[in-house]
Amino acid sequence: MAEPTPQVPVQLGDSAALARRGTQQRKRWRETALVWMPLGVLVLLVGIVSTKNPSFLSLGSIQALTVEAAPLLFLALGQTLVIMIGGIDLSVATLASFASVLLALWLPSLGLAAVLAVLAITTTAGGIQGYVHAKTQVPSFVVTLSGMGIFGSLGLIVSGASTIAVTAKLGWIGWMTGMLGPIPRDPLVALVVVSVIAACLRWLPIGRYLLAIGNSELTALLSGVRAARVRVFAFAVSGLSAGLAATLLVSELQSGAPSLLNALLLPTIAAVVVGGTAITGGSGGLSRTVVGVLIISVLRVGIPVMGIDPSYEQLVYGAVIIAAVSLTIDRSKFAVLK
Amino acid sequence: MSAAAQLEQTGILPEDAPVLRVEGVTKDFPGVRALDDVTLELRRHEVLGLVGENGAGKSTLLKVLAGVTPSDSGRIVVRGAPATYHNVAGAQRTGIGMVFQDQALIPNVTVAENIMLGAEGGAVRRGLYRWRELNRRAQVQLDKIKARVSPGALTESLSFAERQLVELAKVLGIEERIDAEPIVLLDEPTTVLEREEIETLFAQIERLRTCASVIFVSHRLDEVLGVSDRVYVMRDGKCVAELDPKTSDVHELHLIMVGRGLSESYYQEAEQREPEPAEPRLSVQGLTLPRHYENVSFDVLPGEVMGIAGVQGSGREDVCRTLFGALAQKSGQILLDGRPARLASPAEAVQAGIGYVPADRRSEGIIGQMSVAENMTLAHIWRVLRGLVIDRGAEDRLAREWIDRLAIKVPSHRAQAGNLSGGNQQKLSLAKWLVSDRLKVLVLDHPTRGLDVGAKAEVYALVRQLSDRGLAMVLLSDTLEETIALSHRIIVMKDGEIVDRLDAPASAKPTQVAVVEKMV
Repeated sequence: MAEPTPQVPVQLGDSAALARRGTQQRKRWRETALVWMPLGVLVLLVGIVSTKNPSFLSLGSIQALTVEAAPLLFLALGQTLVIMIGGIDLSVATLASFASVLLALWLPSLGLAAVLAVLAITTTAGGIQGYVHAKTQVPSFVVTLSGMGIFGSLGLIVSGASTIAVTAKLGWIGWMTGMLGPIPRDPLVALVVVSVIAACLRWLPIGRYLLAIGNSELTALLSGVRAARVRVFAFAVSGLSAGLAATLLVSELQSGAPSLLNALLLPTIAAVVVGGTAITGGSGGLSRTVVGVLIISVLRVGIPVMGIDPSYEQLVYGAVIIAAVSLTIDRSKFAVLK
Repeated sequence: MSAAAQLEQTGILPEDAPVLRVEGVTKDFPGVRALDDVTLELRRHEVLGLVGENGAGKSTLLKVLAGVTPSDSGRIVVRGAPATYHNVAGAQRTGIGMVFQDQALIPNVTVAENIMLGAEGGAVRRGLYRWRELNRRAQVQLDKIKARVSPGALTESLSFAERQLVELAKVLGIEERIDAEPIVLLDEPTTVLEREEIETLFAQIERLRTCASVIFVSHRLDEVLGVSDRVYVMRDGKCVAELDPKTSDVHELHLIMVGRGLSESYYQEAEQREPEPAEPRLSVQGLTLPRHYENVSFDVLPGEVMGIAGVQGSGREDVCRTLFGALAQKSGQILLDGRPARLASPAEAVQAGIGYVPADRRSEGIIGQMSVAENMTLAHIWRVLRGLVIDRGAEDRLAREWIDRLAIKVPSHRAQAGNLSGGNQQKLSLAKWLVSDRLKVLVLDHPTRGLDVGAKAEVYALVRQLSDRGLAMVLLSDTLEETIALSHRIIVMKDGEIVDRLDAPASAKPTQVAVVEKMV
């Protein structure tokens, strides 16, 4: 093809170019703020908690904090992908609880196979929710709200509404907990998994597609992206990460229970949005979520450390979600708030 | 106190005094002066045309007048009194109402509710609608423009043109509220209307002339010249000329708008080459989808542009959507290079080598928050895959290559696509398909909608080059002039069927009249 030689060259007015540069600069500033603000908040929080209680910065306390953060990181991993496409997964916490029950029941007889079976089940459960959502066009919050009820009930039914202790030797999954030198293993395992998924998002087309769908599903569809499949993928990863969180917690606590991780739903969403992933989809990523998980974990550990009544915990997460969303939301996506 | 000042105070104005005066209005957006000391006036019962290229400041001026955007300095004088409003409601109390480009009606309520929204007054008693009164009041507004729309009709059941009438009626309601004749701002009201509807709209504007003053903004200069009493030309945020439509023509307007002459070969018809006889690249055979289109058959040769002419509802849009896998046909088949193609989804169409350049590039063509390079490879990521992994180096090279080849103006290939100007976004939404060497067919759905003169010319040049590359193109266009000029052949659709086929070689282009006759 020859070089195009338009008869009437476009000469944009300098003013128009300047205007775009202006908005560009503002956007860039916004992007920079979204990356650095969560880190600033993290440092500030650590500062506040450690002035109140200096032992917060001791090695033991930091180790405890990271162990505490690990299951949250898993749950937030899947949630990040779902939020990136503009959806939300309200079922992750109860799905993880249900998984913990199954795992506790099956581990003694099946060993490693129990872990694989449970991961397969949660991945499928997530994928089915994604499929229903994509095919029926029912908003994800409705589908996963139902899922939250269904998995919550299943956990209660299967466990007989009681905690199931794992009396047998934990064997293979035992190595997930414990220490590697001074570093607890749980957060390491979580970080490795998160890094692998993050690398996939960065280097494989699927990462592009997630962002494209989050930004403009119509453009993605008209570009030949199979959007339904990408949605199913995001929810399947969310299911997988629920299973991983359950595995980690069962090996940590040596038991599973029908409401073991239920309280983590709000912190999970809070971690994703406080890290800087916009609830409207189309931006963000896993590195931001790691920072978000740290912020929420400092809050979770810091609240009792500072002598605050734990009854306030969920209140704090609620407030954090509203604050973070109002800062990160992409208002250009809707003219009027519904 | 002077006589004029006294008159201003009492609000009684001489017949020929301006109802609206814009005095030195300036508006800065970060890094740009969108309005630069704009001064103009609008007289009573006048239709004032406002033209200019994209980004000249027309829309910003209207938004300032309508109270959507505040100005930075200067003042607006309405009927002799300086106006002090800060929002749309305030502008309406002053008597200024705007018909927005993207319609601002609530779809799931009745016409009457929309017209009276926010001004129900006596039509609401104890918080409840008095429907008869509401409908009566709405009818009064509709009667002003003799619109044949029922106040009780559900707004979403109306056509786009009818909804526009409702918007007009809504704006006219200002008259009763403030007891003065309204000032109506029309922002590109004809962009998405079909020919017939445009004529109806112009008849409405003539009626408006008797009960209001109008500012009319449009890209179509012949329309502006036809309907306006005076025309202001804007360029780079300034009012650069005031013209009398009786003594000026489109050519002169072009000259002033762009600050240079319009090339004789605007559509580059000299570049049009007749395709070599060959196996059709695209062959559509007996395509039927009841209530959309019936027995549609046509062939497109490599290098040929097939224009489809037709009014809204002629089925031409649906045929194109079927070609791209977004709407399934009931019977008939589509052949690509002689082989039947299965096009059940856009994904399959893309794989088969069909590209689609949508009319609404901002929400369908590009993804504003992603980079230029990422947009370019979105539909053909395989072009830059090494194994399963995206090769960013290859992607960068590909993006830079196409930025050069299409002369896309962009600071870097990693810049956000949303920051590009309309014309450059359109090139990007074309480049997205051109990066694939497997591309066989390109569906161009209103490829120049909303572009200014210069950017349009560039798109025309591109279409000519793609023709040389051997692509088969199917073109839907906003204007017949464009369809005729760009196409090698034209099919005319009416009520879902092909009613005529015309050849349009560069040497013997059919006239617009010849095509219109068959369309309606």
